Amino acid sequence: MTATQGIGSPATDKGPAIEIEIRNLSKVFGDGPRAFKALDDIQLDIRQGEFFTLLGPSGCGKTTLLRLIAGFEQPSSGLLQINGKAVAGLGPNRRPVNTVFQNYALFPHMTLAENIGFGLKMLGKSRSEVASTTQEMLKLVKMDAMADRKPAQISGGQQQRIALARALAPRPRVLLLDEPLSALDLKLRKEMQVELKRLQLETGITFVFVTHDQEEALTMSDRIAVISGGQVLQMGTPHEIYNFPAERFVADFIGDTNFIDAEIVQYEGDFAQVRLPGGVVREASLPEGFNARVGETVTVVIRPEHASLTERGDLQATVENAVFFGTDTHIHLRLEDQTPFILRRQNTGVSVAPPEAGQHACIAVAEGGIQVLRS
Amino acid sequence: MARDFSINRLPGFASVAILTFFLLYLPIFTLVVFSFNEAASMSRWEGFSLKWYEAAFQNRQVRDVSIRSLWLAATAASFATILATLAALGTTRTSKFKGQTMIYALINQPLMVPEIVTGVALLIFFAAIKVQTGYTGMGYLVAAHTAFCIPFAYLPIRARLETMDNTLEIAAADLYAGPIKTFVHITLPLLLPGIFAGLMLGFVISLDAVVITEFVKSAGQDTLPTYMLGQLRRVVTPEMNAIATLFLLLSVLAVTIFFVLSRKRA
Ligand SMILES: Nc1ncnc2c1ncn2[C@@H]1O[C@H](COP(=O)(O)OP(=O)(O)OP(=O)(O)O)[C@@H](O)[C@H]1O
Ligand SMILES: [Mg+2]
Repeated sequence: MTATQGIGSPATDKGPAIEIEIRNLSKVFGDGPRAFKALDDIQLDIRQGEFFTLLGPSGCGKTTLLRLIAGFEQPSSGLLQINGKAVAGLGPNRRPVNTVFQNYALFPHMTLAENIGFGLKMLGKSRSEVASTTQEMLKLVKMDAMADRKPAQISGGQQQRIALARALAPRPRVLLLDEPLSALDLKLRKEMQVELKRLQLETGITFVFVTHDQEEALTMSDRIAVISGGQVLQMGTPHEIYNFPAERFVADFIGDTNFIDAEIVQYEGDFAQVRLPGGVVREASLPEGFNARVGETVTVVIRPEHASLTERGDLQATVENAVFFGTDTHIHLRLEDQTPFILRRQNTGVSVAPPEAGQHACIAVAEGGIQVLRS
Repeated sequence: MARDFSINRLPGFASVAILTFFLLYLPIFTLVVFSFNEAASMSRWEGFSLKWYEAAFQNRQVRDVSIRSLWLAATAASFATILATLAALGTTRTSKFKGQTMIYALINQPLMVPEIVTGVALLIFFAAIKVQTGYTGMGYLVAAHTAFCIPFAYLPIRARLETMDNTLEIAAADLYAGPIKTFVHITLPLLLPGIFAGLMLGFVISLDAVVITEFVKSAGQDTLPTYMLGQLRRVVTPEMNAIATLFLLLSVLAVTIFFVLSRKRA
């Protein structure tokens, strides 16, 4: 394999090197009264060699951000640097970035091998280099047996692999993937998730991956940026995003969540003591840069799996119903102030009977399971 | 229910269909049959013969006008296809601009303006140029036919471009192809069936153009259709049938190629 300088280079004292630096980036479509701000003052640092995911609902601006990075679209304002160089005004053919398109966009009149070799050919590589890299890529995505077929003669999952190989062949610094798995069925999707992760590790190329599937984002990413309405709401590792959501939207978008009103009793650093409904005081973590005030009512989140039914708990509730899911049971409760609460209980034994409707229950929350939200 | 409705179950459907095909093809069928008639008569069948084809092939004038027709159609269709390709690219592969609909309408001028009006206009216009320059060559016919063929060539090319996914061109740009390489390696090869279809349609339209040719041609510039028109004013022999049958064959061939190409999917 040919090595591209810079990729996977040792981290400096300041942490891993930054591959893509985005500052105050905005994109406005149209003008006058019909202007629409698709991206609003985005700040992002994407590190070299990481699997970075843009996660958000439909229409939040994920594709727009990718198109700006790829150069298909120019920003309205702000700075975009790739490998330390500002790329404003450079067309897509002059950026060390390749894209895997959502609909694959394979060239229908070329064979799979010609598709994969296209980028290298355009870069002016020698015939032998194009041929050998194409072979290597075909092997990498396990498609070497079909090199001479046309895209119409292979399945969707295979087209996906070829699209990946084509984008990887020129050894870009960054690979952009716009919901590449959304057209695949569940089983193939799971396979390709593993495959993508493998390719990313093997090549060391920085992946910027777009999805609106939170599970996909959690399982694959090194870091995630949650986007909504053209803004980055939170950025962090899957663990941080899931366990310490800073905003209601993030908590709600990723996984099931309980939202409960609580009062701040006291705080210090990243933690606060909060009074839950019913009067029990527990420790909760505060989001970054949160300006807490004693006596203030805030919303806290508790994940369903961080709560359990006990004899003496933090919250008092009435059981509404229980839904059996096989591996676990979802127990729907209502707190004394009528707030709904879902609790997930893992079915570790067959004999555990579900609680009955109308029954009184006490809920205990695991240590560290309470997170304060930014209002 | 939808599948219970079928137009071919309507009463009288079959009769109407048969009658329509009858009206469409009976005259042509007659023409073709009588081109093989032994007799010089148009009404009495006296046996099979190829003698009228032989006569047509040996007729010097027929050969001349046929060659002129083919040459004119090929030249005009080629020019028209090149211009139509550029026009189609300009109206589909650019960002929307003011007056785009207007341009679309203008390109289709020959479809809107009655042929006889165009003919008269060209007659007057070219007459003025002829007086000024003294040039009386084939240029006038080529120009008139080219203009006339443009919208016909434009339609299949534009249709092809519109169904062509432009993310392919974006993907090529992403893979380091500049605008020219993208055009050569992606747009053009994918557009080729549309271009050939446009060429075939333009060819047939030019081959077929009587009115305009009649007005524009100088002395000794008869094309096959204007020659036939001239001959028919005099005596009608089955030789005309033979020529017409060959002419028909050529048209059908070109139109068939057009259909095959324009139905081919990307
Ligand atoms: N060329 C354009 N002109 C005007 N508005 C646009 C344009 N492209 C995108 N938008 C708008 O910008 C917003 C963001 O679009 P974008 O395609 O980035 O969303 P997305 O997050 O990729 O959504 P999805 O998950 O549905 O693909 C949308 O509201 C969209 O309507
Ligand atoms: Mg999108």
